[in-house]
Amino acid sequence: MEKEHILKVLKETKAAVKREDIIKLKNLSNKTIHTASIEQDPDSIVVAVIIYSLSKIIERKKYTYYKEWPEFYKRYNQNIDKAIKALSEGKEDKFKVNIHKIRTEITKLSGKFKKYIQDVFRKAEINKASRIYEHGISMEQTAGLLGITIWELAEYAGQTGISDVDLTITLPMQERIKLAEDIFK
Amino acid sequence: MKKAIIFDSSTLINFSMNGLLNVLEKLKVIFRGKFLITEDVKYEVIKRPLKIKKYQLGALRIKNLLEKGILELPEKNSTIEKRTEELLRIANRTFIARNRYIHLIDKGEASCIALSELLTKGKVKNIIATDERTTRMLCEKPENLRKLLETKLHTKIKIKNENLDIFLKFRFIRSCELVYLAYKNNLIDLKNHNVLDALLYAVKYKGCSVSKEEIETIKKL
Repeated sequence: MEKEHILKVLKETKAAVKREDIIKLKNLSNKTIHTASIEQDPDSIVVAVIIYSLSKIIERKKYTYYKEWPEFYKRYNQNIDKAIKALSEGKEDKFKVNIHKIRTEITKLSGKFKKYIQDVFRKAEINKASRIYEHGISMEQTAGLLGITIWELAEYAGQTGISDVDLTITLPMQERIKLAEDIFK
Repeated sequence: MKKAIIFDSSTLINFSMNGLLNVLEKLKVIFRGKFLITEDVKYEVIKRPLKIKKYQLGALRIKNLLEKGILELPEKNSTIEKRTEELLRIANRTFIARNRYIHLIDKGEASCIALSELLTKGKVKNIIATDERTTRMLCEKPENLRKLLETKLHTKIKIKNENLDIFLKFRFIRSCELVYLAYKNNLIDLKNHNVLDALLYAVKYKGCSVSKEEIETIKKL
């Protein structure tokens, strides 16, 4: 884990949430994905998912309908503050506890709000998985990192332009068809 | 066994999600060889999704193909498991970014390569069917994979070239080539001038790593 990078990202996330700056939040999440693709450490991945989830919650404004939101948001902020403090003091174990607590806080929620937040986080995991796959990590490895299935990743990645990148063409189409025809002969 | 197609989970998932597993059955008839999956792939396409409501039906359909003998598991063989681990270790110690090895592939993908190697040693003609692109790029054009990683990760990527030879001998096809063959061999029940286009885009949108440009090329063949 690149401590300085995560610390900077978390501080900027706090500020962006206050300003409801969705674009900044999405950029911060993407930046974390570059690191997560190389290091593949669960902490960077959780941070990327949390930030992206937040951007989606704020973007849709649906959270304002739920009376549980202010309390959830308060606890979320507390955990981010604690994570920043722990990381600043070099207490990585404490940082991990607090950052993962944001995710586990969801289990304490109830009713429709819980379902809504769970859904946002699940979709964020699939989105981030798609980004890591886009970075060149295999489908199975990526799905494993995010705790999703290859089924979910394949379905999502197929809707994106990932396969339209020229570099992914590794054999002329005619040759590939010939390979297929030859094995069927 | 004279020849075999080794299916990675991505291809089977694609056929299942598109409701095309019956096409796979018909392809098996004209193939006159074996359609193989490894234990690791079985876990990804059957065991795990059977516990997830959304994908349970898809997993049951693939399980049915296994029970009918359309798909087969290779005989229990410790060599495959051992070689899978070796190939996994080598593949994941080949690309380096910021002085760290990049963990590229996982067990299911490595197990397909291991099985292909084993079959080739036994003089069994074979090919791997995979829709995901990383394993294919690693084996067919590692330089492209290096460039892709470099572009996406915004950092210099080094390759341990001495590791690459092991991977350069494998051959791959995807769902798009399989549906093309099914179409050409009149194995598709739907009759319409748009069927091939529909099939190719259907597999693309369920994760087959094929570009629009490649699809247009296939349609002209």
